[in-house]
Amino acid sequence: MFPSRFDYSAPDSLDEALATLGQRADETKVLAGGQSLIPLLKLRFAAPATLVDINRIPGLDVLEESNGHLRIGTLARHNQLAADSLVGRRYPTIASAAPQIADPLVRNLGTIGGSLAHGDPAGDWGSVMLALNAEVVVRGPTGERRIPIDDFLVDIFTTSLNEDEIVTEVLVPQPEGSFGGAYLKLERKVGDFATVGVAVHLELDGDTIARAGLGLTAVGSRNIKPTNAENALGGNKCSDELFAEAARLAAEAADPVSDVRGPATYKRAVVEAYVKRGLAEARDQARARAGRT
Amino acid sequence: MGHRSYVGQSPPRREDPGLVAGAHRYVADIVVPGCLDAVFVRSFEAHGLLNAVDLAAAQSMEGIVGAYSAGELPDLPVTPAPPRAEVPPEMSWPALARDRVRFAGQPIAVVLAADRYTAEDGAELVFADIDPLEAVIDPGPAASDEVMLFEPRSNVVSVREFGAPVDDVMDSAPVVVETIIRNERLCPTSIETRGIVVVPDGDDITVHVSHQAPQRLRQSLARSFGIEAELVRVIVPHVGGAFGAKSQTYPEYIVIAHLARKLGRPVRWIEDRREAFAGATHGRGQTQRLRLAADREGNLLALEALVDADIGAYPHTGEFIAANTGWMLSGPYTIPHLHVRVRAVVTNTTPTAAYRGAGRPEAAYALERALDRLAHRLGADPAELRLRNFIDRNEFPYRSPTGAVYDSGDHAAALRLALERAGYDDARAEQRRRRTTGDGNPLGIGIGSYIERSGGQEGSTEFGSVTIEPDGTVVARSGATPQGQGHATAFAQVVASALEVELDRVSVIQGDTDEVPVGVGTFGSRSMQVGGSSLHHAAHDALEEARLRASAHLEVAEADLRYDDGRFTVVGTDRSVTLGQLATERALSAQAEFGPPQAFPFGTYVAVVELDRDTGDISLEKLVAVDDCGIVINPKLVEGQSVGSIIQGIGQALYEQVVFDEYGQPLMSSLMDYSLPTVAELPELVLDQTVTPNPNVPLGNKGAGEAGCIGTPPAIVNAIVDALGGRDEGIDLPVTPEKVWLVLSRSD
Repeated sequence: MFPSRFDYSAPDSLDEALATLGQRADETKVLAGGQSLIPLLKLRFAAPATLVDINRIPGLDVLEESNGHLRIGTLARHNQLAADSLVGRRYPTIASAAPQIADPLVRNLGTIGGSLAHGDPAGDWGSVMLALNAEVVVRGPTGERRIPIDDFLVDIFTTSLNEDEIVTEVLVPQPEGSFGGAYLKLERKVGDFATVGVAVHLELDGDTIARAGLGLTAVGSRNIKPTNAENALGGNKCSDELFAEAARLAAEAADPVSDVRGPATYKRAVVEAYVKRGLAEARDQARARAGRT
Repeated sequence: MGHRSYVGQSPPRREDPGLVAGAHRYVADIVVPGCLDAVFVRSFEAHGLLNAVDLAAAQSMEGIVGAYSAGELPDLPVTPAPPRAEVPPEMSWPALARDRVRFAGQPIAVVLAADRYTAEDGAELVFADIDPLEAVIDPGPAASDEVMLFEPRSNVVSVREFGAPVDDVMDSAPVVVETIIRNERLCPTSIETRGIVVVPDGDDITVHVSHQAPQRLRQSLARSFGIEAELVRVIVPHVGGAFGAKSQTYPEYIVIAHLARKLGRPVRWIEDRREAFAGATHGRGQTQRLRLAADREGNLLALEALVDADIGAYPHTGEFIAANTGWMLSGPYTIPHLHVRVRAVVTNTTPTAAYRGAGRPEAAYALERALDRLAHRLGADPAELRLRNFIDRNEFPYRSPTGAVYDSGDHAAALRLALERAGYDDARAEQRRRRTTGDGNPLGIGIGSYIERSGGQEGSTEFGSVTIEPDGTVVARSGATPQGQGHATAFAQVVASALEVELDRVSVIQGDTDEVPVGVGTFGSRSMQVGGSSLHHAAHDALEEARLRASAHLEVAEADLRYDDGRFTVVGTDRSVTLGQLATERALSAQAEFGPPQAFPFGTYVAVVELDRDTGDISLEKLVAVDDCGIVINPKLVEGQSVGSIIQGIGQALYEQVVFDEYGQPLMSSLMDYSLPTVAELPELVLDQTVTPNPNVPLGNKGAGEAGCIGTPPAIVNAIVDALGGRDEGIDLPVTPEKVWLVLSRSD
């Protein structure tokens, strides 16, 4: 479990990193937290000729609200998001998901940009960002692109990021009205990949759902946005029946495979149970927030 | 007279400062100048004809010192058969595959370079030409010999029977429950993987190795290479866990020692995690068919068990581990008639060997599950059923129907204490309330009573010596070599207590065959029971020799001597002599190789679980462990052993399983695939004990350290089945949420 030979560069600026990456982009990998890439290198499943380590580039770990968005720098560590007070107050889905990612060692090093760019359908952030309608900001030789998360995630380990581009930021729309959110994860044990994960975000106007966002983890070839379920919720009043219907639609949108973590029918049943629970929890949070203001 | 005793105390572990500071050295930390790193090329096929191994590209790669398959090493010895295992010569395990591969992960070739990176680059260039053969991975089908591993020899290596057929009892018994149990394969998964460094010096070799039994390894290597054992020095540095899987001589060790001798250069091999899953031995792996007969009151009448042990591709320690299961199958109960048949069967999977518990967890799980099935059938309380059938405390020593002689016990007391600590009656009341009202999630309470065997092989000894130095310090040497248990602390307690001297005056030496040439090793929960007893005897003998010398030195009768804190004083005077002074002119030392009978620790575990009605998720709310391992020398160390063993038991019950696909490919290459529980999976843990002294050793202690992984799995699974109202179809080890969900969803 020792990697093949590779060149290593650790530039101090994004431009320099992009330049190195551009030299032979097809044989180069960007190293952020390394929590997926390093194991792949050690197993020799990946053998890039060059690694561009972006950890020394200043400013890539920004975490602030501006222009109607939460800006999350690509190097924001999972633990940074788990501990941030602004995130804790205003972005409950993120705050709920972050401490459930992997284990403390991975959370100390793993980054949101690296996780999304890895494109693992069992990754937790993809679902959270789908529920929140986030955008991924990427930089390449020709400049910057803003890619809606639903377009960014393409297939298993495949995103719409070009080989010569680097993820720089994730933009999450600021929530409006009274809101709530949760991330529910069934895992065999702490630190395991999700058997099933469900991200839920609700914005309420009174008891009417102004916006509903959902994302499903590990039940398809990418994180899934069950839009039928979201559409069924939007504009309607909260009720157990409505949530049950949305949960049913979300389970329909799931496309799991049977594996060591369980048969497909089981995973679908967990999606249904967790969407129902997540919606109820998000609703309760939103009502509590409405009650406070 | 002041009597200094450290028995029953928990002084700080001597091992901890080095561990906490990261100062301990393990095999991989040992730097030997000029040492070559070895990387093994392993079979990717589970079964096949090995036509050729092409080493040319690797051999010509810059930096590669050598690349070898069996063809290049005609003198390479085979893997030596472990003691006690029945290994027919035609089924011996080649150190590097010759002509045939029989499991995925089997070493085919080895590549040497000055560093591991280069060696792995070279290993990538080795090409093995293998014609695949059909693989057989399950012991049941394997026993039918449709696919053979060693034609014309049957895959059934051995059949062992205990008792005689009980069909007549089964036919006439009022109640018979039957069950088929699959005790899944597990990876021992020590944090430190295997590792060995062999340093040749002329004809001598020094072997640094992560091992449980250095003296045995020394003998085994010497025999393999046809040299005198005196030429082999085995040194075991700190070891990061072993769990039974580091007690043997493995193919890789033979290859590394052979190459070091052949090249006259130091060679090392440090196993990586992927190899540890595919290439290192696994534990458990049994299919058991049980029939348990009782009368209507629940008195047990007969037990029949037909056990197929999947021992992997080559008969190794796993061959006789299964016999331990047969031997222990009557458990702590009076069962008038018993018949056990154990078949050891080869399959195209990784060979099995000892793993913590080594046969006893398989026995306890099968019997305790069958008992709960019987309780369910009879509508009896599982606790009452056990109390009704326990061997009575006045019947010890008790000869079990398999021939085991249980030294002592009070099984009912341990069970009653466990029920009390679990709040059994309240939990049952809450369970009834939930069932009646339909409120809340299903709740289950499960019991696992066990008896285990400690001490290792019957009659086996351990070496212990005690030397008093002229400066008054004491050096204890033991053949029991630790893997993290805390021997240096606990053995010092035994010796200091026997000599009635300060604990700090005693140091302990283990794990180096130059220092301790004789010894058996640390496994089978034997170190304190056997090794501790030997040290106790040696210390007493040294003290008696000192008393003789003191009597001569002070010119008084022994009866006129008072001994206190390392000093003999003539009663009524201030004339005295110290132990150190008595050791100045002539060495003052004694040794012992004590071999007490096996002991039979026991206890009862109670688990409380709650099931998520919608997802089947299992919440282990509480686990009560009541163990009786006799007199406890160091409670803190025993507690640590209990907790660790319990976590491994939780692992077997809920998380861990070695899975091969139908082609014999292992479906795990890392700890992301193999679900090993961590401290985060620990429930509320209640540890308690009863104390029934071992009558056969001076300190009254029995083995501790394996009980947790024996008592825990049946308690947890019985609790889950209890929560499911007795429905256990598909509730196989490990019990995962989807299995529970399937039962729940069938009933809804």
